[in-house]
Amino acid sequence: MKTHRRTWLNLAAGLIAASVSLGAWAQAKPPIKIAAINPLSGAGAFDGQLALEGMQAMAAIINANGGVLGGRMLELVTYDDKGNPEEGVSAAKRAMEQDKVDLIVGGWFSAVALGQKEVTRDKIIHIVTSAQHPKVTDEGHKYLFRLNATSTMMSDRYSKFVCDSIKPKSVAFITINDDYGRLEVENYTRLLGACKIEVKGNEFYNRTDADFTTALTKLRSLNADAIYVSAINTSQGATIYRQLRQSGHRGTIIASAGNMNPKLVELSGPALEGVYSISLFAPDSQRPMARKWIDQYAKMFKNEPSFIGSLGAQAVEVLAQAVEKAGDPRAYDKIAAALKVPKLNTLLGEATFDDKGQAQQSIYLIQVKNKKIVASGG
Amino acid sequence: MVFLQQLLNGLANGMGYVLIAVGLTLVFGVLRVVNFAHGEFFMLGAYVTYYGMTLIGMDYISALLVATLVVAGLGILANRFFFQPLKKEHEFTILLSSLGLALLLTHLAETIFGADPKYVDTPYSDATFSLGDITVTQQRIGVILVASAMIAATYWFIKHTRMGKMMQATAQNPEGAALSGINTKYVHAYTFALACALAALSGALVGPTAMLYPTVGDWAVLKGFIVVVMGGLGSVTGALLGGLILGVAESLGGGYISLGFKEAIGYAIIIVVLLLRPNGLFNPPASTK
Repeated sequence: MKTHRRTWLNLAAGLIAASVSLGAWAQAKPPIKIAAINPLSGAGAFDGQLALEGMQAMAAIINANGGVLGGRMLELVTYDDKGNPEEGVSAAKRAMEQDKVDLIVGGWFSAVALGQKEVTRDKIIHIVTSAQHPKVTDEGHKYLFRLNATSTMMSDRYSKFVCDSIKPKSVAFITINDDYGRLEVENYTRLLGACKIEVKGNEFYNRTDADFTTALTKLRSLNADAIYVSAINTSQGATIYRQLRQSGHRGTIIASAGNMNPKLVELSGPALEGVYSISLFAPDSQRPMARKWIDQYAKMFKNEPSFIGSLGAQAVEVLAQAVEKAGDPRAYDKIAAALKVPKLNTLLGEATFDDKGQAQQSIYLIQVKNKKIVASGG
Repeated sequence: MVFLQQLLNGLANGMGYVLIAVGLTLVFGVLRVVNFAHGEFFMLGAYVTYYGMTLIGMDYISALLVATLVVAGLGILANRFFFQPLKKEHEFTILLSSLGLALLLTHLAETIFGADPKYVDTPYSDATFSLGDITVTQQRIGVILVASAMIAATYWFIKHTRMGKMMQATAQNPEGAALSGINTKYVHAYTFALACALAALSGALVGPTAMLYPTVGDWAVLKGFIVVVMGGLGSVTGALLGGLILGVAESLGGGYISLGFKEAIGYAIIIVVLLLRPNGLFNPPASTK
């Protein structure tokens, strides 16, 4: 009897010891460090926060399921690029040289992404989330991938809808004065011109502007049927939409592709009602991973999940999948190969990276209805 | 018509700049402090108005008055802890202290209020007033009217009240003023509070014309400095004219030359003023002083 009890005791002690050492072993496994470079201060701060929150919610889901590569946790190292190319470049350098991160997600503004990709060129896996300038991937590198559709892909899709469904007689643009904005004007002038919509003109604004009345007065004097607003950050966007209505414009407003989020709708009030845009993220999506992410996001943050956030989440998601397949977060050639597998299953649906690292995925038409962003049949 | 509309846009923006700049110029004139944190008091004025309306449920006008008073109080504290202890130090030390205060306030605001933009929803923001083709929101008319009244009141206060005269005396010769029995410490605190109140008022008035975020003060202090350099450091009338000139030059320059140059116009004016009339457009040149 005695020996029996001892055996049991020994067994129990052994089990406890084993589980303790197993736990210690799991903890000792180094985390996989992912640099999250977003604009966290300045006018783009809120959008950067949305992107970061999206990434954090996805990382939490993956870590709760045991992480990657048999128990390695994902650790996000955050950096602030202030929405400015110089800061973005220095953040990428710090991430690689000082903090020795394994992977980089960064480049929310096109101008920032264009600078950063030269730092990461052929050295580290770099996922660009929302930047839309085609040159990011056209002049990319073997480890560079971009999730958002390029502004050319967006404008091809969007202009068809404007020509076929909105059908304004004439249009004028207000766009940001940078690489992205200039390309927008060029694309839409060509595409809308092709379907006989008269382009009456364009006004550029600067990244630091807080008042748009001068630009909007000029635009209004052109008497265009529709005004296309290309606003890439929420605070400037909401001001433009409000001031546009205040300036007396009663015609159609067309919101630039990929820049619609719940906060913008809330801040712009009645000015955005009925306005169309296009996006890769339909908030009413029923895909299981999307629902899971939306629930996790709601648990962790008070903002509503947004398109920008979903891109951040998708970046973390595809990286985790590819690292798992490659077997090592530093095996960049293997990770790149794993990313280029067709039809990756993600929260936004199936995504396929082409040879240049550009993701191809579905684009939805969305509309603001009763202060909610909903998918539109269009 | 477009010309009149642009002129009106410029006047409304310009009056906003004037309100920001008057406080800045007062603090420089009396305390000899170049206050980089001035824009943060503008930001706080707008935020206190926002929270007064959304959290406490005050109407816009009461929230605006509360914001002005609260920020004036914060100004007294800021002066007591950031500027008064450094009075004997080199100007650069004080300058750095004000920069530090600016960063501190911005980051505190980001932590406490959050980075998400806010909108101060006043009953006057979307209500417009139209005359023919010219449209302006009531909020902007409010900016022009209140700013004009405040400038007149400030001017009168400095010229005609006992405190105003003590401020002038302290500005001209701090030691002489102290010797003749003026409590310069008190005058400094008073001036700083007044300047912060004006900054907060401008935040509460101009804030609702755009979105509000923690770094909005960067923009405000930049415009303020351009106006102050143009009008002459320490001059209230200079700030008035400087602000109006900047506002109108920006909207007409942006409207008729190119919007790409809108920001550059302010800097170009500064360079020309500093080259030709370094004491400000409306002050006598240094040689005749």
